Amino acid sequence: MSTRREYLRAGAAVAVSAQPIAGDHWRVRVGERTYEFRVAALGDGGVRYVPVGPDADAVGKADVAYGAPAGKGYMVRVAGRTFTLLSPAGRKGGGGGGADGTVRAPMTGTIMKMMCKAGDRVAADQTLVVLSAMKMEHKLAAGIAGVVKKVAASDGVTVEQGVELVVVEKETA
Amino acid sequence: MVASPPFRRVLVANRGEIAVRICRGLRELGIESVAVHSEADRRCAHVLAADHAFALGGNSAAESYLDIGKILAAAKAMDVQAIHPGYGFLSENAQFARAVRDAGLVFLGPKPEAMERLGSKKAAREEAQRVGVPVIPGMEQDPGDAGLIEFAQKIGMPVMVKASAGGGGRGMRLVERVEDLAEALAAGRREAKVAFGDDRMILERAVFPARHIEIQLIGDRHGNVVSLHERECSVQRRHQKVLEESPSPVVDAALRARMGEAAVTLAKAVGYDNAGTAEFLVDDSGNFYFLEVNTRLQVEHPVTELVTGVDLVHLQVHVAAGGRLDELLAGRDLRPRGHAIEARVCAENPEAGYLPAAGTLRLVREPEGPGIRVDSGVYSGWEVPPFYDSMLAKIIVFAPDRATACARMSQALRDAVYLGIPTNIDFLRRIVDDPDFRAGRMSTDFLKHKPVLVQGPSAEPDDLALATAVLCQALAPARGSGNGGGGGVAASGARGTAVWQDLAGFRLFQEAR
Repeated sequence: MSTRREYLRAGAAVAVSAQPIAGDHWRVRVGERTYEFRVAALGDGGVRYVPVGPDADAVGKADVAYGAPAGKGYMVRVAGRTFTLLSPAGRKGGGGGGADGTVRAPMTGTIMKMMCKAGDRVAADQTLVVLSAMKMEHKLAAGIAGVVKKVAASDGVTVEQGVELVVVEKETA
Repeated sequence: MVASPPFRRVLVANRGEIAVRICRGLRELGIESVAVHSEADRRCAHVLAADHAFALGGNSAAESYLDIGKILAAAKAMDVQAIHPGYGFLSENAQFARAVRDAGLVFLGPKPEAMERLGSKKAAREEAQRVGVPVIPGMEQDPGDAGLIEFAQKIGMPVMVKASAGGGGRGMRLVERVEDLAEALAAGRREAKVAFGDDRMILERAVFPARHIEIQLIGDRHGNVVSLHERECSVQRRHQKVLEESPSPVVDAALRARMGEAAVTLAKAVGYDNAGTAEFLVDDSGNFYFLEVNTRLQVEHPVTELVTGVDLVHLQVHVAAGGRLDELLAGRDLRPRGHAIEARVCAENPEAGYLPAAGTLRLVREPEGPGIRVDSGVYSGWEVPPFYDSMLAKIIVFAPDRATACARMSQALRDAVYLGIPTNIDFLRRIVDDPDFRAGRMSTDFLKHKPVLVQGPSAEPDDLALATAVLCQALAPARGSGNGGGGGVAASGARGTAVWQDLAGFRLFQEAR
């Protein structure tokens, strides 16, 4: 019985599977490569792992790792670093200045100021919305230059994470 | 011998880690604690830490922790004798302190008269100048944008624009070019309006490179004020502190004495009678300039507690009840001992412009060990609400010397697990491991010169991250089933062989000590 997942790395999907071989001995395939570990569950959401086998040196020393779901993705903390993994299906969503020209609320907050209106010609890094969340102001830009097609919020309104605020369309020459 | 507690029951008008810390301090004194909470905070850690809880209703700070009427009604309903305001929220609101006193209750902070004389940056500056404490050249009134811009040109750029009612970095901006002033003032006014309900701005010459060094003070109602020495808080992002330590690597006994004396002089001049902090900028030549007084307990108070051995919350309670510092601290050697560092764990993403994050913390595992203190306001399963500050917890380390404290902090941060939403844990560790930080070479623009520390290494997962993520998912479901013998090893019950037997002499945990 193996556990399979697919995660994005540098924009490409990488297949990862873990299969028990015997006892605490596991074989993990990451894309084309195969690693072997001895693994113990720690009972608190973590695992203790010891890299073994021919490729043991490639993944460093024995350590503990912790993992948990995070929104649409999965977060893992290993060797003192945290990684957020997204599956190819969960690529979209979230918020912020999407390079597709749609400005979404990166988190729940209040619109302090809409800095644009429909028809405005805007630069890629131009502040279009000032959002106040967790006591700080955040300037949001579209990430592309173009013309404001749609303004979907107004000053003083509270918006949920991921809500569309402004749509900018690339100008066709 | 235990003296009878000065109060029977105290309301804590705050939330999260500081409310937890205050509730614990109250319990140690034999005082019952009352937590207040918003709708979103019904199961917040501070509610669980208190003896009683009172629902304020609402979600935004304005309709809960900032609502003076609701807090006082809670105090009345719960029959408390005193209110501890914590930091932020109503802690520096003289009107609140006065309302508490008028309601016949004790405010566990300075008296409103002292707060008013130091509360706004402008008032504090004037007071400092009056008693001969050095200040930075600046404009103390808000004559409007045109007047502020004209004054900036007179004293020379760069300048710092600040909210007149300020604190906590809200509304504060460094402006290097005259042409950027108008936008900075407009943004500052908006932030100040939201944070303080007062959009007046002041402006002063920017001193840099500068270190942010502050003096912890404690006063009593009998005219005594004691300096508990400095904290260095130079590592900041967007004018908010990231790491704090005591003692400062650059403050020697002579400078400590001079700064302490200046702070005490100022506090005595206004009859300051509780815990407070005088903030200074210190330049390369050891000149110090007074910035402001925070008339409350600070976020970073634990580093002072560790190096001086005092409990500031206990002292706040005792002096508010009329205790005398000369008796409370009699026979105590208050000279700083060892070295303490604090790191603020925040739900934010430094790699993405410090964007704060709300959401569920799926897995929290806070570091522990000799010399490690964690003041936390979260737990596994807690949903961080989007309405308040992004700080989750503070990791504080104590060691005999700074080098050991840095190493200890690095390991504590390595061990810390906060999963489910982005945090700044990796960012904090990058700073602590930075050679300049290790050498004590910091200034308030430390992070500005180190974009690599902010950005971090590639966020793309390596093979180890991908492999362990899948192993965690394969094995973690075993949680709760058969972990009595040290952890079931496989997801299916049929494979629940104890790992210890299987490994037969393979010392799995050898490096894990």
